[in-house]
Amino acid sequence: MARGVFSLLFRTGIGSGSGGGGGNGDVFGKLLSDILVCPLSRQALRYCPDSQSLISDSIGVSFPVCLDFPSPGNSHSTDIHLLAELWRKIINGIPCLVPKDGKILEDQIKSMGNDDSSGADSGI
Amino acid sequence: MARALGRPLGKCRFYSLTPSSSFCTEGDGFQSSRVKIFDRDLKRKQRDRAAWLMKGKDEFVDSVAENLLDRLHDCRKTFPTSLCLGGSLEAVRRLLHGRGGIEKLIMMDMSFDMIKALKDTDDKYSNENLETFYVVGDEEFLPMKANSVDLIVSCLGLHWTNDLLGAMIQSRLALKPDGLFLASILGGETLKELRIACTIAQMEREGGISPRLSPLAQVRDAGNLLTRAGFTLPGVDVDGYTVKYDSALELIEHLRSMGETNALLQRNHILKRDTALATAAVYQSMFGHEDGTVPATFQVMYMTGWKEHPSQQKAKRRGSATASFQDIQRQFGNNSS
Repeated sequence: MARGVFSLLFRTGIGSGSGGGGGNGDVFGKLLSDILVCPLSRQALRYCPDSQSLISDSIGVSFPVCLDFPSPGNSHSTDIHLLAELWRKIINGIPCLVPKDGKILEDQIKSMGNDDSSGADSGI
Repeated sequence: MARALGRPLGKCRFYSLTPSSSFCTEGDGFQSSRVKIFDRDLKRKQRDRAAWLMKGKDEFVDSVAENLLDRLHDCRKTFPTSLCLGGSLEAVRRLLHGRGGIEKLIMMDMSFDMIKALKDTDDKYSNENLETFYVVGDEEFLPMKANSVDLIVSCLGLHWTNDLLGAMIQSRLALKPDGLFLASILGGETLKELRIACTIAQMEREGGISPRLSPLAQVRDAGNLLTRAGFTLPGVDVDGYTVKYDSALELIEHLRSMGETNALLQRNHILKRDTALATAAVYQSMFGHEDGTVPATFQVMYMTGWKEHPSQQKAKRRGSATASFQDIQRQFGNNSS
């Protein structure tokens, strides 16, 4: 898999082929609100930009929005251009809604108290 | 060397909808009564590998996808929002050619690498009329809102689900009324030559057999499944393909590149080199042609189902008849004996 290839990554989501919005955050939001729901509870998801994940509040699980970051060796990490591209990638990221990818939210664990606190990860 | 020989894939004959004690049920803390035949995590990894091995056009997969998408021409309806479930997503996207009036296409697969590979090549097929979205998801846990899509297409993907009926029911729920479900899955006759060769070679070399081939639906099962899932106007048709390979090992390579290798939970994790070579030899001797090539049968079943809608034709209610068979006989029976 060409995870490390710098030039390939920047083609992600740009242009009219994927999502039509081209760098505009609405594309992802539209899909999210109209069609995508939590695979387990079938309730709505909300996007959390801080953790870059889709949160299902009804069951307290977060699903990652998988991005593809360039490997540090290939890029100029302080480049403003790079940051702009990363932001575009976040907007056009690929939501991973396979139940096994979901993680129980840590707050949920802390607030419930009697849950197993061995880790936030859980295969559902 | 052993790695190159790989593991034969399999498809065997019977498909049971009821849980059987011989199948492995879940044991990771969550006791579930669902039957688990396939190892979905392994299938995910195999599809990741298939994404890496994807070289371009695969004639068999292309002809199945073409056949499936051709059915869209038979419908007068257009399908603005469509979902393509995993299997041969790449072929479906490439061969769509604007059929079905699709404006929004959501591509969904279990494997992130597959989706990523498709997304990276998205600009080659970019089309002003078509918006494509990419989601990683499981067919058994469909992350789609009810009544949200007009068309669901699955080309050679659903035969790896543990709960095919559940997946179909979820698809039906995700469809809008008068939505279409189109799927192609591999049928019971698929790879029967490989099944026979594996069995014989294993009996010879190991004195026993282990499942190398996954259970596949029969044609009658496909019809029942569609009805049980609640689809109206169900239709099933079957196509047989015979693909020729230079050797049995090429068949395995092809299966690997399609992501169709063995993912049974009860599979034997070890394949001895002797057994693999013996399988290839048996295959060649029993089924090989004079020119040295070997054939492999693929039976593909195309399933069509619609979500109920008042505009669809249906049988009239019992007791609403206005003419009896006696009347018909009186009318026409005089002409016959």
